[in-house]
Amino acid sequence: MTLPLLERAKEQSETFLLTTKRTNDSAGAPHCASTIDIGEPRIPQRTLQAGEQYRFHFDMTKCIGCKCCVVACNEQNGNPAEINWRRVGEIEGGWYPNTQRLHLSMGCNHCLEPTCMTGCPVDAYSKDAITGVVIHSVEICIGCQYCTWNCSYGVPQYNPERGVVGKCDMCHNRLAEGREPACVGACPEGAIQIEIVNIANWKRDYAASANAPGLPSADDSLSTTRITLPKNLPPDTRKVDLNRVKPEHPHWPLVVMTVFTQLSVGAFAAIWLLQMFGQQARLNIAALVSLMVGCLALGASTMHLGRPIHAYRALKMWKRSWLSREVLLFGCFSQISFLYAGLLWLNFPASKVVGALTSLAGIAGVTASACIYLVRPRPAWNSKHTLGEFYLTGALLGPLLAANIGLGARRWLTMMIVTAAAAQLLNLALKFFWLVSSDTFELKAAARLLSMQLRSLMMVRSALLVLGGIVLPLYSSSPVAMAAALGLTFCGEIAGRYLFFVSVVPKNMAASYLTAGKAAA
Amino acid sequence: MTLKREVGLDILAEKYAYASDPVMGFTSAQKIPDRWVATTCGYCSVGCGIMVGVKEGKAVSVRGNPDHPVNHGMLCPKGLSEHQTIDTETRAKYPILKRNGKHLRVGWDEALDTLVEKFRGVQQKYGPEALGILSTGQLVTEEFYTLGKLVQLGFGTKNYDGNTTLCMASAVSGYKRSFGSDGPPGAYEDLEKADVILLLGANVADNHPILCQRLEANKNKILIVADPRVTKTAMMADVFLPLKPRSDIALLNGLIYLLIENDLVDRDYIARHTTGFEALQESVSKYTPENVSQITGLSKELLVKTALLYGHAEAPFLGWTMGVNHSTKGTETVNAINNLALVTGNVGRPGASPFSITGQCNAMGTREAGFASSLPGYRKFESAADRKELATLWGISPDRLPTSRGLAYPDIVEAALARKIRALWVIATNPVVSFPNLGVLQQSLETLDFFVVQDGFHPTPTSELADLVLPAAIWGEKEGTYTNSERRVSKVNAAVAPQGEARSDFDIFLAVAEKLGCREELFPGWREPNDAFEEWKKISAGRLCDYSGLDYALIEREGGIQWPFPAGTTEVTTTRLYADGNFQTEDGKARLHPVEWEPFPEQPTNDYPFVLNTGRTVEHWHTRTKTAQVPILERLAPNAWLEMNPRDAETLRLRPHVRVDIVSKRGRTNGVELRITEMIAPGQVFMPFHFAETNVNEVTQSAFDPISREPNYKQCAVRVEKTPPGVGSATGRKLFGRKSVSAQERGQ
Repeated sequence: MTLPLLERAKEQSETFLLTTKRTNDSAGAPHCASTIDIGEPRIPQRTLQAGEQYRFHFDMTKCIGCKCCVVACNEQNGNPAEINWRRVGEIEGGWYPNTQRLHLSMGCNHCLEPTCMTGCPVDAYSKDAITGVVIHSVEICIGCQYCTWNCSYGVPQYNPERGVVGKCDMCHNRLAEGREPACVGACPEGAIQIEIVNIANWKRDYAASANAPGLPSADDSLSTTRITLPKNLPPDTRKVDLNRVKPEHPHWPLVVMTVFTQLSVGAFAAIWLLQMFGQQARLNIAALVSLMVGCLALGASTMHLGRPIHAYRALKMWKRSWLSREVLLFGCFSQISFLYAGLLWLNFPASKVVGALTSLAGIAGVTASACIYLVRPRPAWNSKHTLGEFYLTGALLGPLLAANIGLGARRWLTMMIVTAAAAQLLNLALKFFWLVSSDTFELKAAARLLSMQLRSLMMVRSALLVLGGIVLPLYSSSPVAMAAALGLTFCGEIAGRYLFFVSVVPKNMAASYLTAGKAAA
Repeated sequence: MTLKREVGLDILAEKYAYASDPVMGFTSAQKIPDRWVATTCGYCSVGCGIMVGVKEGKAVSVRGNPDHPVNHGMLCPKGLSEHQTIDTETRAKYPILKRNGKHLRVGWDEALDTLVEKFRGVQQKYGPEALGILSTGQLVTEEFYTLGKLVQLGFGTKNYDGNTTLCMASAVSGYKRSFGSDGPPGAYEDLEKADVILLLGANVADNHPILCQRLEANKNKILIVADPRVTKTAMMADVFLPLKPRSDIALLNGLIYLLIENDLVDRDYIARHTTGFEALQESVSKYTPENVSQITGLSKELLVKTALLYGHAEAPFLGWTMGVNHSTKGTETVNAINNLALVTGNVGRPGASPFSITGQCNAMGTREAGFASSLPGYRKFESAADRKELATLWGISPDRLPTSRGLAYPDIVEAALARKIRALWVIATNPVVSFPNLGVLQQSLETLDFFVVQDGFHPTPTSELADLVLPAAIWGEKEGTYTNSERRVSKVNAAVAPQGEARSDFDIFLAVAEKLGCREELFPGWREPNDAFEEWKKISAGRLCDYSGLDYALIEREGGIQWPFPAGTTEVTTTRLYADGNFQTEDGKARLHPVEWEPFPEQPTNDYPFVLNTGRTVEHWHTRTKTAQVPILERLAPNAWLEMNPRDAETLRLRPHVRVDIVSKRGRTNGVELRITEMIAPGQVFMPFHFAETNVNEVTQSAFDPISREPNYKQCAVRVEKTPPGVGSATGRKLFGRKSVSAQERGQ
């Protein structure tokens, strides 16, 4: 990113100042100009030095909740009304007439450890070396939306019209011109400013001024935004939208993809195990079916992307992004499983080794798959139960598929199926009890969703698991029973995965009381 | 979605591109215009200077005018999105006439011929006063001036009022009674100069947000906010007075009592510039801190503290808006405020002012020139001298001028119900959403022989009922001037051409005059608003609201100029009224009017245990005919809500976000989202009035100030109950009777 004024500053002298353009000419920034003499300038008046970055200062004591910043930001960036890169939420505490009702205005926190960046599989994010601004590139972005799960504040937002994500960039191009960011300039109270912060000092001291009621902890990504809070905030100050918990988006392509990949991996593992224990008949057919399932899965996954044609880019960041690792590992899995299936058809003895590699690659892929969901902003996902659920889906459906293809060792298969089903049921119960007994808002809220709006589905899901995974396999080994068992269990796992996605309650900044986007009636 | 977009080759780069513009800087490219048009915001009476960016004949962006003395480049969220109100689907584009119960498009000629024929017909059959006009506070002054002459001298009816009666009438009447004339004495600069600022019933943070930057700039002030609710403005306060609903007169009298007791009144000023102090002193003697504490719910300590703060202040500012005006004793409350300022000599000095903050962008203009509640130029109907002077200026016989004002807004509605008014012309206002106790209004509209609505938008709940709809140009499409709360006259300019066949109200009035045959007499040679402006200048010369030294060019150069600005004035400075202590009464002295506190008319009962308060939110303007068309504003505030204290919610077993019905003796409002919050006191509830879909005026009361005729929107008795399932829908409305009939249903 170029900073022409900054470059010039370094050339000339240290006394060169980066000032806001004064406005007796018409060169004022849009939506703002010099204010009535409020006093301090709103953007830095000197150049950045090494070890420093720009950051927002939000003064809650000045904010009047007018939303000028929201509208100005939307106008500045040409965003549709549904996308607000700056949002204003409300918090409330105390008792009438000593109520404290306050507002929180937030764009992006341009964190020191931007989790949006660490999770991005395609390297679409960068943290500017000089300004510290976290910048997102729409050209590189493939619209996977993983960053929207990685940010505790809900900052990056997917734009369905474009197929890519977008977020506040501190109007860094305006700063380079010596102009105020849109929100900064539009605020009639001067509640939003840009400051220079010493990074090392901030890393040490941030906890005192980076946090606020209604905001997720600054620890999650080392937010740089400084917040001035009113003195004597009542201890019960909280977001006003606490009671408005709704199920999340089901992400159907991912429901399909995760269940199918786990099914495929489980099936291949079962096939290989059976092969190791001397089975030979129909392994090739099972492998073929399993391969097809795997292909379906990977096809489904691209449907989650805003820009599927660039899906290959997701291989790039395997060094730090679990999503990238998943793509890489499942990529390997698909190649190796293809080879394994081929070798089985051709009846090569080397197939056993390849089968082992297939299973390893598959399990590694499922592991990476699960690790994608271990993100702090989604507390209900961020536990070993996710790993458990994913592995057990595979351990349950894989052998069931194998059994349906008529592979032998009926007793062993049945044992694997029933054990996996029982473990999955136990995992479900343990997860639910963990949610219910937690003090964390997002976990409790997830439990509430599961026991209220989603209760019937929860019960159906459990019933399908018990019936298809335990009762039927124990009751009968007839092809009909096995087919029914597979069908029921498969539906159960799909339902369970759906519940996994919709019941999570993400961390986010405080919102307003009313639901945005609803019609007035 | 195109294939290119589906696979991800197209990310709409051009639509979302940025570019750098010398004026705007680096910004969204689609917002960069070819040219800028300087104008004044058309929403509230702060009167911000705003530049509209025009590209290829469309308004694509706005920015605050950095050189305008009111706002110095700042705009509120409504102003920042105002360009989005112009080119919307709900604009009224063509004249529409109702035939056989259906609205059909007609041409202007037929529309205007019909209007004149029907109005004249009604007047010939039932008398000239059988025609009523309900106007607004949002036209330009030139249009008000034209309309006033057209109505009073052309049509010859004085049953002419505006929605300013729902808003400012109490302030106007209060000023007239105290100072002998309308006209807010202070200036916005007072907010920066005052050392103590007392805001009564004025939620400026939501409703006049750009004034808050002046509060912020004043680092040495003490801000006292009196409001029953913990509003955003109350949060700014250094001292918060959570007074009980409608205890304002008691508070004010109590403060005067304490000032007298602590010898903090300005005896010299009282003697030289006021009359009636003895009577006032006598009347406030019962407003002891004990009594006032009982009535207001404020502690004695808080009352004393407030009185001492105000009394010791060098230049204290008193500001108010709807919390005071919307009262059956609004005029008297304004008198009480003026009393407080007068007895301490705090009128007309920098910082020191009893300042009515006006609501609409040009309510002031209709007060000055509108010929509705007074003769143009702040002249009195009752004064023979005023009538003679005006008649001479106009070259007409004084007999043609009414000797008293006609019916005010609520009385016009009553008269329509009583079939004394048979034809009605509603201009740029939406009574079916904004008038209290809708049941009465709806019945009255149904009885009319002919009902005309002239508006920029159609359908609105009011225009749907009209026999004739005239499409008017709106802000951004026409020229003229607005006057803001601090008497500052600013220029309004057209940035784009009117939509469809819409015409400016100015053109419509001249065309009606033409059909009526009085155009040449009343508006000789007039073509454009400046013609009206030039005549209005002559009419205002020598009056308090003196425009005679102004002209469009000067106003544009300065951004905005306060009146009085008599001809010959060379310097543009901040002006205040009554700086010399000379008021507009016969003897030049202000009047101290004793006023008594009374409980508000509809007290809560067992059946209706809550006091319902109504008001606004920053995202919306009035009945949302404009702001509902701005997607971002609509998204920020998508529906109405009812605020209720947690203790009451628990008693009623109501949970957050449930839908509730609000019921009063008048009717029922269905399906409002409940907000349980400590912002509101137990026993009280609050709801914004913007939303036609859940119209609070189904339940509000027909209770009007006897002097100003302004309704009390702020207190009535209601009960709240959970909305039965299925209600809040058309079905529910049929089950529960006519109440809360949807706009769509009404129009059919």
